[in-house]
Amino acid sequence: MKTTSSFERALLMIFMAGISGVVANGQTQKASPVKHASSYVAARDASPVKQDTIPVSTKSAEARRKYEMGMLHYEDLLMIDEGLDFLRDAVKADPHFALGHAMLGFATFDPMEAHRHRALSKQLIANASPDERLQIRWLNGTKDGQIVPAIAAMNDLLSKYPNDKQFANTVAAWLCSNEQAYDRGAEILERLLAKDDTYGPAMNNLAYCYALGGRANLAPAWMEKYIAAMPDQPNPQDSYGEISRMMGNFPAALEHYQAALKISPSFTSSQVGIATTYALMGDEERARAEYLKANEMTKDAPTIMNYRLLWAMTYFRENQIGRGRKAHMEVAEAAHKAGFAVQEAEAHRAMGLFNPDAKGALRDLDAARAVLTEKHVLSSGDHDTELATILQTRAYVAAIAGQNDVAKAALAPLTAIARTSRDNLIQQSYHSANGATLLLEGMYADAVSELQYDPRNPLSLQLLAEAETKAGEPAAGRDALSRLAGINDERVETAYAAPRARAKLSGAPSGSDQPAAQAKPAPVASARSTGFRGGPLQ
Amino acid sequence: MRNRFLIISSLLLTLAAGAFATDFAVIVHPSNTVRAMTLAELGKMFKGKSLTWPTGRNVTLILREPSQPAMKFVIERVMGVGAEEGKNMLTDATRKSAAPVVFVPSDADVVKAVEASPGALGIVDVYNINGGVKVIKIDEKQPFDPGYVLKGH
Repeated sequence: MKTTSSFERALLMIFMAGISGVVANGQTQKASPVKHASSYVAARDASPVKQDTIPVSTKSAEARRKYEMGMLHYEDLLMIDEGLDFLRDAVKADPHFALGHAMLGFATFDPMEAHRHRALSKQLIANASPDERLQIRWLNGTKDGQIVPAIAAMNDLLSKYPNDKQFANTVAAWLCSNEQAYDRGAEILERLLAKDDTYGPAMNNLAYCYALGGRANLAPAWMEKYIAAMPDQPNPQDSYGEISRMMGNFPAALEHYQAALKISPSFTSSQVGIATTYALMGDEERARAEYLKANEMTKDAPTIMNYRLLWAMTYFRENQIGRGRKAHMEVAEAAHKAGFAVQEAEAHRAMGLFNPDAKGALRDLDAARAVLTEKHVLSSGDHDTELATILQTRAYVAAIAGQNDVAKAALAPLTAIARTSRDNLIQQSYHSANGATLLLEGMYADAVSELQYDPRNPLSLQLLAEAETKAGEPAAGRDALSRLAGINDERVETAYAAPRARAKLSGAPSGSDQPAAQAKPAPVASARSTGFRGGPLQ
Repeated sequence: MRNRFLIISSLLLTLAAGAFATDFAVIVHPSNTVRAMTLAELGKMFKGKSLTWPTGRNVTLILREPSQPAMKFVIERVMGVGAEEGKNMLTDATRKSAAPVVFVPSDADVVKAVEASPGALGIVDVYNINGGVKVIKIDEKQPFDPGYVLKGH
């Protein structure tokens, strides 16, 4: 899921909070009171299926206890910060604990910490048992680009330890979010829940796997079960809100988000969910008020900047282009002062996308790209994905404006990045930009083939609809347009392209103020999968 | 307010479910010394024009049913012909003894069969491989490499 940049990744952290309990910029939801956790722990410990788990090799009883607590909080209770702290304590208690280092390297949001602990796990791997080594190979391989051996190790462990719920759940979440391998992820979770139909975290993930993988009709039933399994936790209600919104059922989404806030008034993810739901419903004034509430609920500066961008976008949503540009410029300036390069670039990119003048749009995108050339604390991965996103947007703008040379100029550096990167986001951005160029050159069938590699990006879907139609497949073109019209998420691409698709389908004049109420059902979840606990987001 | 959104047609869902990219892995028995081959060489095996491994061992293809959507992509890409023509070539009775093709219902069955047969070659969704098989490179690339030729959508 992504045309995306780090900002979208951050937005997707909000989105994936449904699965992981994590909000933008890695802030953990603090809403799970310990007393609720305790009751869930007790219930979990009583489960007869908790056996035959992958062994944990450490000479320190304290390290083992901390590790198990870390996994419980991180995986089962979705209390991410607490889980990470336990894992840090575990490797402090036993600095030679290879699996502990690997798990921390997988789970942490801090790239430096991740790198350090992955390296330690490799150095210390001789201390691990053979099966732990397989687990370490999976954990590290997902981060080091060694995906093929990582998958082999993962499947060997799933086969050998069919009752290890935490491992299966972690694996399935990775498959459905990072890898877009929805069928495989769902298959693992279905098998897991067939053995233990009380394991709430797996219900949550299964619902998301279904929703993201095009089987959204199967998701609500699991959400109901998830809520029943963990009635005093806010995350089940928040997840159901998210799923309902993805399916276009906005009243239900609001109801569930509000229920989550009733359980835990500080559950920021649900507050942002309410704001975005109103934005999608076309009530931008209410959305702005709700985004401001979300801002007040967090102290994390990058997260606040992300919420400010969502707030600013409401002006574009209601076609107030001048006001929207002013709001985005303010965010760009604030982000610049704070050194948040991605948010600053995203503000310019949003202005480019909504700029009705193609030349002006390209200038905005130049400004977005220029931000990345300044001196910032930005990982090379974040830099490249943001740059790829900007270039993809540039190719899209060029395609709409009929400027083949501009599209080619955007494609050239993107091709260079894509040649050396296995990042899904970069690969999809490349295919989209290449599709845009082929569309401009009249090679419609080839354009279709390329654009189909990026099926969740609203800009790519719009181009795909055009390419299909021009290739003589109007029904396929209309299907692509329908899928685009059914997207309900907070991405700037969605805010721009989805209302236009709805207008086109309904025969109404094109504009950007068509609320999602006009949309057809969303058969596919709207967001591209970009990250998860331990994924590249972190 | 939007009850109609809750009525999601199974047809649309089916179409949507088929819209995701998948890398297909070419797998062989771990004892097979081959580490890489070209798409053209793989195509010859599929067409029954290349019958043995360099060691002289006979090739057996283990595939999922050719009518499955994923296999249609594989057939078209590997054999360079339409799905129907490729299916006919794979199921042609005259090639049975030369380069047998075994069709199995699932990726898990493909993996199991390749694990058990030193001369076998199978193609599966990469997320279904395990440590009992070896993934070989095609045109010098393996799954997830940029430009990998068996990346379907």
